[in-house]
Amino acid sequence: MLAYTIRRLFGILVMLLLLSMFTFTLSRVVPGGPWMQGAEIPLPDEQVAAFKAKYGLDKPLWQQYLVWLGNAARLDFGRPFTAPELSVTQLIARVLPYSALIGGLAAALATAIGITLGIIAAARQNSWIDTLITSYAVGIATIPSYVMGYILAYLIAAKLGLFPTGGWGGPRHWVLPVVAFGLPASGGIARWTRQCIAEAMAADYVRTAYAKGLSQASVMTRHVLRNAMIPIITSVLPIFPGMMTGSIFIERVFGLPGLGTYFVMSSTNRDYPLVLGITIFWAVLISLTYLLTDILYGVIDPRVRIGEGAR
Amino acid sequence: MRTEATAPAIALVGREERSGRARFWIGAWRRFRRNRLALFGLVYVIVITFVAVFAPTLAPYAYDKIEPSIALQPPTIEHPMGVDKLGRDMLSRIMYGARPMLLVGVLTQVAGLLVGVPLGVIAGYAGGFLDWLITRLIDLFSALPWYLIVLYMVMVLSPSLQNLILALTITAWVSSARIVRGISFSVRELDFILAARALGTPTRRIVTRHILPQVAPLLVWGFAAGIPTAVFAEAGLSFIGMGVRPPQPSWGQMLGEAGLYWQYFPHMFIFPSLMITLSVLAFQGLADGLREALEVHVAA
Repeated sequence: MLAYTIRRLFGILVMLLLLSMFTFTLSRVVPGGPWMQGAEIPLPDEQVAAFKAKYGLDKPLWQQYLVWLGNAARLDFGRPFTAPELSVTQLIARVLPYSALIGGLAAALATAIGITLGIIAAARQNSWIDTLITSYAVGIATIPSYVMGYILAYLIAAKLGLFPTGGWGGPRHWVLPVVAFGLPASGGIARWTRQCIAEAMAADYVRTAYAKGLSQASVMTRHVLRNAMIPIITSVLPIFPGMMTGSIFIERVFGLPGLGTYFVMSSTNRDYPLVLGITIFWAVLISLTYLLTDILYGVIDPRVRIGEGAR
Repeated sequence: MRTEATAPAIALVGREERSGRARFWIGAWRRFRRNRLALFGLVYVIVITFVAVFAPTLAPYAYDKIEPSIALQPPTIEHPMGVDKLGRDMLSRIMYGARPMLLVGVLTQVAGLLVGVPLGVIAGYAGGFLDWLITRLIDLFSALPWYLIVLYMVMVLSPSLQNLILALTITAWVSSARIVRGISFSVRELDFILAARALGTPTRRIVTRHILPQVAPLLVWGFAAGIPTAVFAEAGLSFIGMGVRPPQPSWGQMLGEAGLYWQYFPHMFIFPSLMITLSVLAFQGLADGLREALEVHVAA
């Protein structure tokens, strides 16, 4: 287990290294640069040269990268060009809570709806209620979150006036973004849950349990759910960090602050330190979650052996 | 001489195999026909392709014809879907908007196959160092946060349809490469491949005649299953202004333009929303129908 974890962590490090090289090179080789932002007329060459010298952008690319890497290894990602009063880390720490709150609630909503519907559909397979739930799951997943956002904002906020149409405020402002973000995600979870449970219900030990004379309720809770929950949990868990890092679409529709908006802004402004900082933060979060779920898989499912002897 | 002596036997095997495969595809069509959502998807895709190709003839107005005097007008008989903030006919723009949607959806999958299938065959069939290298590459690309990379690449390379397709292709080849590698790897040691090898069949012929037909159902499904993701991505990136450049219309971009007006002029967001959702649903239904029809066993 330990050897496996170390090997995976090493793999993540290699991935981060390659990702940062890719992002770094791509941002530098394309035309344009941070000195072009906010300038009505192009800056004189001397000023561009002075800007480059100040931020070390005049050095060869590999030197710039090594300097960045050296600082990043000490968790210093520099200061954004567009907001030099904060460090990149501070800026992410300041914006993340907004994204994490909306995304976390949305992921929780998606999980609750998805798993409930999936269980009902699997328990009543091939009935009208199963057809209804499956249609819902397929249909809802095809609606992009921003379309859902507009529909909800139009019907519930603008027409009925039940909730604000956007902006940041109290819990009343959270409702529509959370629903718009969470509902489309519930479709996939419902389908996956239904499939996992349907597979577990077809297993031999379920037939044995029925043959022993157990009631349907006790077979479902004691045998089916317990086994089906493992693949469900391990595939639902990575949804949380994915959604908690925010969605540029939801932020755009409802006018919310968030990490997605900053990422888009930093890329168009050629704000090199911020782009790299957000990319690396995102990649670390997501790959650690995958690692965690894989380890968790081994812990909760005794049939899974990871590390030596596996494969 | 040698090949002549063995020719009849090979021809016989070939014919039997072919008729067996034909039976498989006929059966697949029968299974596909039973799925109503899949049929809807097929019909929708045919219709929307027709509209996209003949948009210049079908569209009642030019997509960039500006009529400021009627800007933001709700649907009327002359403009069944209303007009946008510059007075451009929404129906015409919706028709033209099918073009980037299909282009991105289909081209990224084609490019993905063109890159992924050769890499997969090389890795699975040749094995050794090449297999190790390509497998690592596949692992790396599946570990990367691809959405971020696509978004980032498009923004940095300057937003345009070409760059959007390029960025999406970088991630689209991974799944087909993995599928093809897995199958060619497992098929390599089977008796009929060994027999073909023993008969001196050139590798190229083994790959095209024996390996690719085995992977074909999976690839057909994979092709269809990748399209909804690409359509989603095109609409999403155009929505935040990172995709198709104005004045070329795209549904996502039209939706983004509805931004300030949707509360009072709902026609500006209803029609593009409807088209995006219907298209994703159609392609998804088509892919799901193909999965059942071709008896592909993968996680949904």
